[in-house]
Amino acid sequence: MKILVIEDEQALLESILAYFTGEGNICEHVSDFAAANEKISLYSYDCILLDLGLPGGEGLELLTKLKQLKKRDGVLIISARHSLDDKLAGLDLGADDYLVKPFHLSELKARVSAIIRRKNFDGDNVIHFNEITVDVSAMKINVKGNQVILTKKEFDLLVYFLSNRNKVVTKNAMAEHLWGDEMDLSDDFDFIYTHVKNLRKKLLEAGSADYLRSVYGIGYKFGDI
Amino acid sequence: MKLSNRYNKANILTSIVVLIITGIIYYVVIHFILTEKLDRDLAVEENEINQYVNTFHKLPLPASYLDQQISYKTLSGIISEREFLNTIYFNPKERENEPGRSLITVVHLGGKTIEVTITKSRVESEDLIRIILLITLGITVVLLLSLLLINRFVLSSLWRPFYSILNRMKAFEVSRMDTIEQEPTKIDEFNELNKSVNAMAERVRQDYKELKSFTDNASHEMMTPLAVINSKLDSLLQTESFTEQQGALLEDIYHATGRLSRLHQSLLLLAKIENNLIPDFQNIELKEMVEAKTRQFQELLEKDRLILTKDLAPVEVKMSRYLADVLLNNLFSNAVRHNVSGGHILIKLNQQGLTISNSGNPGHLQTKIFDRFSKSVESEGMGLGLAITKQICNLYGFCIDYHEESDEHVFTVYFGD
Repeated sequence: MKILVIEDEQALLESILAYFTGEGNICEHVSDFAAANEKISLYSYDCILLDLGLPGGEGLELLTKLKQLKKRDGVLIISARHSLDDKLAGLDLGADDYLVKPFHLSELKARVSAIIRRKNFDGDNVIHFNEITVDVSAMKINVKGNQVILTKKEFDLLVYFLSNRNKVVTKNAMAEHLWGDEMDLSDDFDFIYTHVKNLRKKLLEAGSADYLRSVYGIGYKFGDI
Repeated sequence: MKLSNRYNKANILTSIVVLIITGIIYYVVIHFILTEKLDRDLAVEENEINQYVNTFHKLPLPASYLDQQISYKTLSGIISEREFLNTIYFNPKERENEPGRSLITVVHLGGKTIEVTITKSRVESEDLIRIILLITLGITVVLLLSLLLINRFVLSSLWRPFYSILNRMKAFEVSRMDTIEQEPTKIDEFNELNKSVNAMAERVRQDYKELKSFTDNASHEMMTPLAVINSKLDSLLQTESFTEQQGALLEDIYHATGRLSRLHQSLLLLAKIENNLIPDFQNIELKEMVEAKTRQFQELLEKDRLILTKDLAPVEVKMSRYLADVLLNNLFSNAVRHNVSGGHILIKLNQQGLTISNSGNPGHLQTKIFDRFSKSVESEGMGLGLAITKQICNLYGFCIDYHEESDEHVFTVYFGD
């Protein structure tokens, strides 16, 4: 996957690049409006991570530019502005999603993966991981030919894990992904444990290997053993 | 008491007193003058009789003219004093008794003492006094009436600019960017008031704007470092060479940053609601939303073994979907957070309002629960949830009420006043 990160905050940019690089992903990055403008004109990307507040120009103009060039790049806006107007304007101009800073890298990855899946497979929205096959649009999971029945939350959790395979995902990030960050949850995310436990049990019963590991009590990691 | 009423009262009372006193003085003085004139006339008549007696040595005929009667009476012995007095006499022309003024005097004729009574009619002077009294009364009434009318219409129209300025001041909201308009008036005092009010409003607005833009900028600038901290933590977590102890430390940092960013978002949201910057105003099926919310909170309810009872009627309200979600979130979180293990939550929704009551420890919610950063000691929240809820209610003209009854905390949002 080819990803362009347009972000002027160097520290944040480095983190995003580190998190996304690997697994066959190619990440490019620019830090100002002019360079971003040049990149999107010359190349095509599976997904563009766009920060709205850029030195040298307004990020939303890049969206207009993409539209003019009739490009099909997926665009995820990352912005410090938690404003409904910006969000609607961005989505109107053809952005696929909108994420407000601060965010969890795992959430960013999950959203980018979802955008790329939607763009690339046009309806045939399937994730493969070793013996596990997940048909995201049909909400079907297949392990070694066995159908696995999951609840909505368990399904979302599995897709989230698969988007962040081999990464440690915090309980906090999982809770925000499943219940939304508006919920003002308490800091006690133990109730997530039940869902993780059930998901793991169902996958094991269907014959998958045990890919889920708890990490330091902070979160979980789903990945190759 | 209104200024004009107060003024009216003083004005009218003074007018009445002054007019009454004037009337009395008028009456007394005119009465005195007229009586004086009658007495002079009577004295002239007496003089004439005396001259007649001195010249002709006999009494003139006891004539009764138009308004004048003369009668004689021979006195024996007692000589009465010369005196003026008010009497009633018979007027043969009018054939009725009329009030009169009499002069009783004596003349000496051939050694006899004769008492002469001269009577003149007082009717004319009485009439005059009556007319004067009536005119005075009439003027009094007309004056009072015109005073009342002036007060009623002129004063109220004079004060109109004042009340209109007052109303504008009452309606003034610093967050709304409308100006207090100049009220056209020719009265200097009101013009000055108007100018001062406008200047004050302008100053307040300016200060508010500066504060607001500072808050906005500070918020946005703060979001970026927070995003960096969060992403660095996520990256740090991937390096995977931690001891259990370091893991616990990491978790604490996560919690703190999570809290900070939530706090931040809550403050921003609060500012946005206060400034009415949330535009998506639409019809919301509240029942469906409550149902969805209970599903969303399922895990939290199960964790504390809370029993949820619902009594929902289909209700439609006009508000932002986003804010409706925030409102329900806050009320639900509150009901879960301030509950006891194995307790219950009751949700009632009807046309009047939405009531969420939950079991809980008695008395640990104070009266200031809707204030910012007010929270109970054991609360894990930030103390902003209910402040936001209250602001949302204010924005849409809803009314939120909290009370405690038999170990139950009851929150009610009334749609409409």
